[in-house]
Amino acid sequence: MKKNIIVIICMILSINVFAQEAKDKHLAKLPAVEIQDLNGNPFNTQDIQNDGKPVIISLWATWCKPCIAELLAIADEYEDWVEETGVKLYAISIDDAKTSARVAPFVKGKNWEYTVLLDVNSDFKRAMNVNDVPYMCILNGDGEIVWQHTSYAPGSEEEVYEVIKSLVKK
Amino acid sequence: MNFKSIQRVLLATFLFLCCWSANAQHQFGNSRVSGDFGFNGMYYIPDSIIGADPVDSKVRGNAFLNILYTNGGFSAGARYEFYMFPLIDFEKIGYQGQGIKYFFADYTNKFISVTAGNFYEQFGNGLTLRAYEDRQLGIDNSLLGARIKLTPYKGIYIKGVWGIERYNFDPYLGRQDYVRGADVEFSFGEMFPKMQQKGFIARVGANVVSKFEKSEQDIYFYIEDSTEAGSTAVIPSDKIPENVATWAARGTFGYKDFRIDAEYARKMNDPNLPNEFIYKPGEALFLSATYSRQGLGIAASFIRADNMEYRSQRWENNNSLLMINCIPAINRQYSYQLIGDYSYASQPNSQIGAQLQVNYQIPKKTALGGKYGTDITFNYSRFHDIDKVPVQEAIDNGTPMGTMGYTSSFFKFGPNLLYQDIGLEISHRFNNKKWKWILAYNYITYNLEILQGHEGMMRGHLVASDLSYKITPKHALRLELQHLYTKDDDGSSVYAMLEYSISPSWFFSIGDDWNYGNPLEDHKVHYYNISCAYVWNTTRIALNFGKTKEGILCVGGVCRAVPASFGCGLSVTTSF
Repeated sequence: MKKNIIVIICMILSINVFAQEAKDKHLAKLPAVEIQDLNGNPFNTQDIQNDGKPVIISLWATWCKPCIAELLAIADEYEDWVEETGVKLYAISIDDAKTSARVAPFVKGKNWEYTVLLDVNSDFKRAMNVNDVPYMCILNGDGEIVWQHTSYAPGSEEEVYEVIKSLVKK
Repeated sequence: MNFKSIQRVLLATFLFLCCWSANAQHQFGNSRVSGDFGFNGMYYIPDSIIGADPVDSKVRGNAFLNILYTNGGFSAGARYEFYMFPLIDFEKIGYQGQGIKYFFADYTNKFISVTAGNFYEQFGNGLTLRAYEDRQLGIDNSLLGARIKLTPYKGIYIKGVWGIERYNFDPYLGRQDYVRGADVEFSFGEMFPKMQQKGFIARVGANVVSKFEKSEQDIYFYIEDSTEAGSTAVIPSDKIPENVATWAARGTFGYKDFRIDAEYARKMNDPNLPNEFIYKPGEALFLSATYSRQGLGIAASFIRADNMEYRSQRWENNNSLLMINCIPAINRQYSYQLIGDYSYASQPNSQIGAQLQVNYQIPKKTALGGKYGTDITFNYSRFHDIDKVPVQEAIDNGTPMGTMGYTSSFFKFGPNLLYQDIGLEISHRFNNKKWKWILAYNYITYNLEILQGHEGMMRGHLVASDLSYKITPKHALRLELQHLYTKDDDGSSVYAMLEYSISPSWFFSIGDDWNYGNPLEDHKVHYYNISCAYVWNTTRIALNFGKTKEGILCVGGVCRAVPASFGCGLSVTTSF
């Protein structure tokens, strides 16, 4: 019972923090988590940047159908998006040891132009408090998270593009 | 200091940090509190035909709350779980209770990372150590203890861990088992950047893991013989190893588009319940080779595992509990409704098999490729048990227990086919981008006896179609049709599902899985499902009503049983 009370206090406190955050428009930045690039070299998520231009981050997996549908839909538009806004998409796979070796052939087979990273121990997923994939977020030129979304419905890539365009206009 | 007091101190620190950060938010832009919450509940209705038995409390649910505090290199977090009246699937695997079973504090900079509390970790491919979490399956093998990671020089990585493995909601206090290990990795590409620039990758690593478990009781077992009463034999407690070590060595080598991964692991004698208390050492080999260039990817892998179940406690044999390592299932994973029950489950004590997958894109702007290209995936995998010849002592004794068990020739496939899958998947987008079609065919052979404990083999043909149509930029329809043709097990089924989505927030779906080929007339059941979901940023609320077939749920080759159920479910997830 004591534990429950502590937890409730925790919750209230966190909500309090959350509310304050919203008031101050205090935008979060990405946590610094060590993940890997496709060669298996370490990559710190704090190094995700795009020279002051917006960044899209997608958390996905080779076994997740809606994730692939979303990345496929964006792949069709990606060339135009890059040309118009200079955006860069980081596709961070949460495939673990069983399937992570297959990420590179999968991505190449799909002809994706994204920067692909591997979060094999789900450390970045946990640090971002992500429950389920697909998860997508957009960073502005200062690396602040300005938009987040979970799950994929066909057409939601249009909203992603709207957000990016508004960031570039500013 | 006992665990309770450690827990209290950590909680107090944590609370302090919460308050501090709430007040200090303006001064320190880097400090941040975030979290996520999930609830998954269901109202159960009994249904005798599908085997959904009445349950003692009809309303059940799983809930958890994660809170995470970060400030620069420092982070701390805790998860509260409330599984007092869990969904029946979770009750079946003993995942029932409540409390904070996950909490940690961590400090990381360029050279060192120290974690105290619970952590998840993996050495190499996980053949010796893999502490991980899969909420859907009810697996949480986190270790409670300490971890240190060092990077003394560019390209050299050292890890050390010590901890007690989580055992559902059982207390850590009084446990007589723990795990410790160390791993080292050399990445030559980082040490010699010139090598990497020329396109070479070379990385080698090795690790040792050891588990300790006190042995105080003799192990008695029953042997069937000519007498009616049979006889008993015993392994005295001092003959049971308290320390069981595993080691592994691995390497990754690549040049430009080619890459090879290899890992070999060996386990010392480890008599335990799943291996029938034999003293034979275990071993595993994992090989993977890939080739990829724009538009083409080929991946081939091989695995052999012999007596490699490695757990914190020798008497545990529940599927996912107290596993220290994880022998990967390398087959392709599918999300098709009708073959979900025939997903291969990795057999760490006896499996040998291989898998080949080819992804190819017919180039864009060609006759076959169309404007957006056509993606083709071909897949073949086959797994057998390993070849086993019982040792003479085991034959003489009438039981393998207490002996070396068997001998096995390394590359020989055993007599029993466990799983085979031949698959082809074609995905095409039509020129106006409104239509998208995925068509798949699979021929699956699945050993029901070894993988599920029923009799016989399941041989089935699956044809699946997934057609999407964008009505307007925001409104879309998706129709899934599947047909599984088989004469085995529960017979053939058809499945249809229609989903309507309004981007980015609304999802509606209606589906029916009809087991029309069931040999029993009254078991030709419609497993229908209606669902509705609303998504707002990172919050998702979903309602569903329908029937779930008894079967198995597999994520990455690790499976658990799913009991039949009928009812109404609510799921809420959010992060902040």
